Amino acid sequence: MLGETSGARLPNMIFNRARALVSSLRNLSASRSSEPARPMLSAEQFQEELVLLGLSGKEYGPEEYAEALGAYLGISIAVHVIPDLQYPELSHRLASSGRMGEIRYSEELGIAVIIVPGSLPSLVSVLTVLHELGHLAAGDLLIEPGGGLGNTTPENSGKDAFATVRIEHGKRLAQGFPFAHENLREREANMRASYALTAGCLGSLSPYALKMHDVL
Amino acid sequence: MSVAQHQALVLAGVCLAGSVFLGILALSSRRTWFGIFAAFNLFLGAVLFGAQVVFGFSGWRSEVMAALLSELPPVLLISWVCLAQAGGLHRRTGALPAEAAAQRPRLRAVLRSAPLFLLLGWGFAAVVGLVWPSPAMQAYAPAPSQFVLFKWSISTVEGFYAGLAALVFAVASRSSAATIALRLKNVAFSIALFCLSAIAVESAIVAGVRLWGTDESRREIVQALLILEVYLAATCFVALALGLALRYTPVIAATFLRQLHTSWLPAQERFESLKWRAVTSGQARGAIKASHHIVEAANLRGFSQADTERALTTIQLVATMKDPSAERARITPEAARELYDLQERILDNDALASKISWASDWDSRIRDANTVKSEPLHDALKAALDLIDNREEQAEMQIRPLWYHLVAVSAADMGLLSPAMIHTRLGQQPEYIVAYEAYHAAKASVRSRTLYDR
Repeated sequence: MLGETSGARLPNMIFNRARALVSSLRNLSASRSSEPARPMLSAEQFQEELVLLGLSGKEYGPEEYAEALGAYLGISIAVHVIPDLQYPELSHRLASSGRMGEIRYSEELGIAVIIVPGSLPSLVSVLTVLHELGHLAAGDLLIEPGGGLGNTTPENSGKDAFATVRIEHGKRLAQGFPFAHENLREREANMRASYALTAGCLGSLSPYALKMHDVL
Repeated sequence: MSVAQHQALVLAGVCLAGSVFLGILALSSRRTWFGIFAAFNLFLGAVLFGAQVVFGFSGWRSEVMAALLSELPPVLLISWVCLAQAGGLHRRTGALPAEAAAQRPRLRAVLRSAPLFLLLGWGFAAVVGLVWPSPAMQAYAPAPSQFVLFKWSISTVEGFYAGLAALVFAVASRSSAATIALRLKNVAFSIALFCLSAIAVESAIVAGVRLWGTDESRREIVQALLILEVYLAATCFVALALGLALRYTPVIAATFLRQLHTSWLPAQERFESLKWRAVTSGQARGAIKASHHIVEAANLRGFSQADTERALTTIQLVATMKDPSAERARITPEAARELYDLQERILDNDALASKISWASDWDSRIRDANTVKSEPLHDALKAALDLIDNREEQAEMQIRPLWYHLVAVSAADMGLLSPAMIHTRLGQQPEYIVAYEAYHAAKASVRSRTLYDR
């Protein structure tokens, strides 16, 4: 019995060591591919993105933002609102997982599809669509699976700057590379959604849009 | 006093007047970083031109030095303007690039390179001037070819960047997105920079005339050009001062908007989404059942759609806040109170409250279907906070709408709130009795319908 146990322990030990080695190698390659750290997107930087989309100082809704972003990235973006009465399992699955919507993206086909349940409160629905569009704008969906640092706790490398991942392919709207940590990418997508909603509502009243005409 | 000293005296006067005006502006509320910098620059110009008048020139090298120092203020001024247009001063002043520059990355890169090339041009001119001195400050004297090289190496770069900056301001002045004050401001800056560019061109022409002009024509042309320079300099300073004096304060402050981005929207989204998640996944205890009864009672009493929505949102909020998982998602009465206060602050700002809106559903193109005021969450938050407030001791005298009483009855019935507390607080009010009867009639109706269906 004892011999059996120690016999089973040895391969387990080797397996565990090998797994730890692979994990540390993966972390090493991830940190090597990490770009210089950058801070979270500011409202001013978002304003510069709006200029590139041709939406600066204009009133727009999520549809126009999606259209402009799709045109800039050269992809087709579709938003599908799923009627909950017909597909209650989708809402239930999303609600249970704590998510409000999903995005599916194919770089080869140049297609992005956003799915949101129809029963979402209107503000949440708008912010969810803008959040998913924010991931597209940031280039988060261009990260290869396992390319970032996953859901680990981000290290602040001073001045509120965080590690990013170098992306060599695809097109993105953001100036900087996407964050290496998933929770930072989510936080930034939330910020982008907030910026996009308020800028679209305020149009020419946006103080950031006006700042671009008042540089001195 | 030589002609050059006379010219320096006039320019020193113009610079001094400009610096005094901008200095007064810098002391007022219209102060900007550029205003302070421009005032300092003009004062430096006045001192340099004044020094030329007082000390004169003891040789060609000292003339070259005087000419070089006189070029410093415009070089610094144009560098600052180009950097500001390219957004290069972003970190220090929190400024954004000019829209025309933000749209064109190449133009932005060229504008960003201005300080480097202007200082390189100035440095090159210094080397040429000091190695091969020339009568730089003798306005009508014939000049050697090295003078043209000395003068052109500064004036071409100055003329190019000042002209480019003037063009960017001119484009900004045509934008329909800007207010009239901002458009006028950009027109003024465009004129000022155009004048600076014209002075650089004029100065290059003077150098050419002094090299290639005949004795008869030289004096006449240079004299006319020097008079033009004074007019251009005066126009430049007046336009610059006008541009700096025109100030536009946005209707919505960026600091308040930042609060919207970081506090209000995330909190509102958190409340709405947790409410949806709790109801959709069936976690909110009793909320679904209570909702059916409330809708039925609302139909019986002929509630408006808005009141029914308010009642439903309130019962969902009460159920969500009473849910043990709510604490984890930071859905607490304190957070609710904070959100309500933020909503109140938005509603106090008419411009903002009327603008912040979103479509009620994805297919709808009518965006102002939902605003902070029209959203049921605003009234529901207040009602839910009132209901879960543990004031048991005395009966309430405040008159509440019928939908509020209906929610109170429903929450007590579902065990979300203590029935004794609700009865003590609201039981004496006639609306409560009406709501109580309507709710129980609706409940009986739903039950009998369910039994019939089975």
